Amino acid sequence: MNAGFYPKLAWNGIRKNKKLYLPYLLTCTGMITIFYILAFLSENRATAGMRAGNIVQYILSLGTWVIGAFSLIFLFYTNSFLIRKRKKEFGLYNILGMGKRNLAIILLWETLIVAGISLICGLCCGVLLSKAAELCLTNILNEEITLTFSVEPKALVNCALLFSAIFILILLNTLRQIRVAKPIELLHSESVGEKPPKANWFLAILGAVILAAAYTIALMIDNPIQAILNFFLAVILVIIGTYILFVSGSVALCKLLQKNKNYYYKTNHFVSVSSMLYRMKRNGAGLASICILSTMILVMVSSTVCLFVGTENSLKEVYPRDIIISTENTSQPEPIKHIAADILKEKQAEPKDEMEYRELSFTSYLENGTLILDTNSIQNISFTNLRLLCIYTLEDYNRILGKEETLGENEVLLHTSRTDFAESSIRIEGCPELQIKKTVDDYIPDGEASTMFSSSLFLIVPDAETMEQISRIQAEAYGKNASEITDYYAFNLNLNDKKQIEIYEEIFARMKEEFSKTETPYHFQIKSLANERPGHYELNGGFFFLGIFLGLIFLAATVLIMYYKQISEGYEDQSKFEIMQKVGMTKKEIRKSINSQILTVFFLPLIAAGVHTALAFPIISKMLMLFSIENTPLLAGSTFVTYLIFAVFYIFVYRITSRAYYGIVSGRKEDSV
Amino acid sequence: MALLEVCNLKKIYTTRFGGQHVVALKNISFNVEKGEYVAIMGESGSGKTTLLNILAALDRPSGGSVLLEGRELSKIKESQIAAFRRDNLGFVFQDFNLLDTFTLRDNIYLPLVLEGRKPAEMQQKILPIAKKLGITELLNKYPYEVSGGQKQRAAVARALITEPSVILADEPTGALDSKSTGEMLELFSQINQDGQTIIMVTHSVAAASHAGRVLFIKDGALFHQIFRGENSDTQLYQKISDTLTMLATGGEQK
Repeated sequence: MNAGFYPKLAWNGIRKNKKLYLPYLLTCTGMITIFYILAFLSENRATAGMRAGNIVQYILSLGTWVIGAFSLIFLFYTNSFLIRKRKKEFGLYNILGMGKRNLAIILLWETLIVAGISLICGLCCGVLLSKAAELCLTNILNEEITLTFSVEPKALVNCALLFSAIFILILLNTLRQIRVAKPIELLHSESVGEKPPKANWFLAILGAVILAAAYTIALMIDNPIQAILNFFLAVILVIIGTYILFVSGSVALCKLLQKNKNYYYKTNHFVSVSSMLYRMKRNGAGLASICILSTMILVMVSSTVCLFVGTENSLKEVYPRDIIISTENTSQPEPIKHIAADILKEKQAEPKDEMEYRELSFTSYLENGTLILDTNSIQNISFTNLRLLCIYTLEDYNRILGKEETLGENEVLLHTSRTDFAESSIRIEGCPELQIKKTVDDYIPDGEASTMFSSSLFLIVPDAETMEQISRIQAEAYGKNASEITDYYAFNLNLNDKKQIEIYEEIFARMKEEFSKTETPYHFQIKSLANERPGHYELNGGFFFLGIFLGLIFLAATVLIMYYKQISEGYEDQSKFEIMQKVGMTKKEIRKSINSQILTVFFLPLIAAGVHTALAFPIISKMLMLFSIENTPLLAGSTFVTYLIFAVFYIFVYRITSRAYYGIVSGRKEDSV
Repeated sequence: MALLEVCNLKKIYTTRFGGQHVVALKNISFNVEKGEYVAIMGESGSGKTTLLNILAALDRPSGGSVLLEGRELSKIKESQIAAFRRDNLGFVFQDFNLLDTFTLRDNIYLPLVLEGRKPAEMQQKILPIAKKLGITELLNKYPYEVSGGQKQRAAVARALITEPSVILADEPTGALDSKSTGEMLELFSQINQDGQTIIMVTHSVAAASHAGRVLFIKDGALFHQIFRGENSDTQLYQKISDTLTMLATGGEQK
């Protein structure tokens, strides 16, 4: 045979099936582009040069793994559609006298063509778009923009290797299928009479139970650490449960409907229930994939948007003032104030919203209404019972918040965060019992409690003596790990970030110098909001970027699965459409019935994804606490808006793909008349 | 009045490009009385499928009229035509046209469900028909689980269950083996003896020889017809063969 014969045959095969191959090529190209961009960013020097570059690069390299794994699964999935449609053609070649070996050569050429086109296009797009992605990233991260253009050879090589491996795996899988099949089977594989699906009640119930378990886990969680630990368990359970439920639960439901004769034998239900039964069996997995992908998109985008939008809020939460100076082990905060005041005067800056207070904070363990200090005596420590105790004096409290509260001896004011306290008195192990005079809503804004994501109790004690007494008791119990009473001096500055950082650095240097002269060691700490801001933006922005990026990829995948689903269903329904018309259904009735089942089948994943997302809400809000984001309305808002935008997009895709579907279904009719 | 009156029927197709006219039917007229069993024969391209499509209200004639029980088919509104077809016509196709997603029972129920009948009533109707056609045991099977002959019986049952005025059969034995063909033709005769009007389009002399009357179509026009009269199936077979020979050889000279 002529040398150009096989490539020509392969090329023709692709061209004649362009309705199927074009989306496949686009997918491969898109996947490669996206993989390269992520790999590029995670290798790129510009990214590494950022302040939180390491974290961002780490997040992005995690992203490349996700994309790699996803590409493998997804390309396998889409390729199986192609093969199912093309088997007939291969069967014909086989019967016309081509051996399996010849078919294998054609397939090899096809793979080479597809791989070649998509690798070249994908890498070109990747290289071209990588700069745009880099600009997006630097913009999100508030970084300076560089305008050099670069190519990352390592990313190129990795990308080419990974996708070549995927293409080879796909080819091997196809060859395996061709090798096993007989020519007649190949010829008829598309129209093979299918067994009616059987309802598997056991699996259906199992799916429901697994899903219920996942939901329960998500709803039961009451603190961030638990959320992290259980999140992946919940995710895996949801994925398994969704797949089982879509594949067998839906069949079971249809069977149940079919048993109800009065329901089933109605014009509206008759055709749709029975064809849905088949459709679900074949497309249950596809629908479950759409559902899972949609859920992932919703969760990722809404949470990272919330994270990014909430960055400023969370910064304010952690750093209640622009500059916060804290010193341990001193009873005279005056020298600190002097240093700060001197420097501010030099820089001609005015401190505002000054705040001065003493605080004692330590961890305790709540058991039977008593706060235990010696945690060694407790077995099986449960995170939920840990309580951070923050103790302030009444004087500071009244001064800072402008209150006029009074306290008798052994009386306290209580403020709680992320917990409730049911008892009427505070019993700290080894301390006299403290009566709770009342629970207050206001508290001294203290950044530390927000960074610790455990439940906190804020106690306002009558005087400094009580505080010192408690301090001695905890010092005894904790020994080396004991906390010290800390003096805080915090203020705002009406300056831009750059000047604030200058002042911060100056104060830091001066204090270091000052304290090195004294004999007793002082521990001091200065925090500057301006100095911390970029780090937070880089971390949160990195997640945001990745969330949007992965969201887009999953979105593309969802669209493609939908498209293939509609196309393949269109081919299946062609003959049915015709028969029903001959038997006496009007075009309108058929259209209505088909429309209703497509709608049901199509919007089921969207609804299920909505339910998943809604139930994931508590767990996500807990996890966001790790990033000091405790803004339920913001998360609710971003989730809702994301869902809304997604739903609109989903409907848009539905309209486009269902047009393709009707095109196929009615196209055949024209030919036959 | 005849059950079906076909009067000066014409059908002209216009090709999509160039506007050339192809005459599929020219001036066909015939009547079918109630209880008749009529076979329509002709070569490929003679227009017999076009004729059947027009009788089935699947296609509209370019001229002339078709009256079923005095009702002009072309005057029925597009929106009502499906319902009309369902109520008055029963179809049997060469390739059965059963839906794979339904059991035989549900396939047979399909027209009744479309009419909105009650499950109990449908159950009552299907039993005698299934018994007559010998598919009672098979009702809960799916089309791919039964043989071609059995599929065609189910298709016949589906056509009969609405008690239509006419059954239109398009090459009903075309996809069957000779044994099933024989059985199917017996079945058609039997149904006809019970009073059912049948119009069948066929290539097969054997199939046509079971009919009460055979119409021959050539080049879109009615060419000849043979009545069974007192002839047996075998004699009719001979007559049909002769006519076909004449059609093939000397037909042009007519």
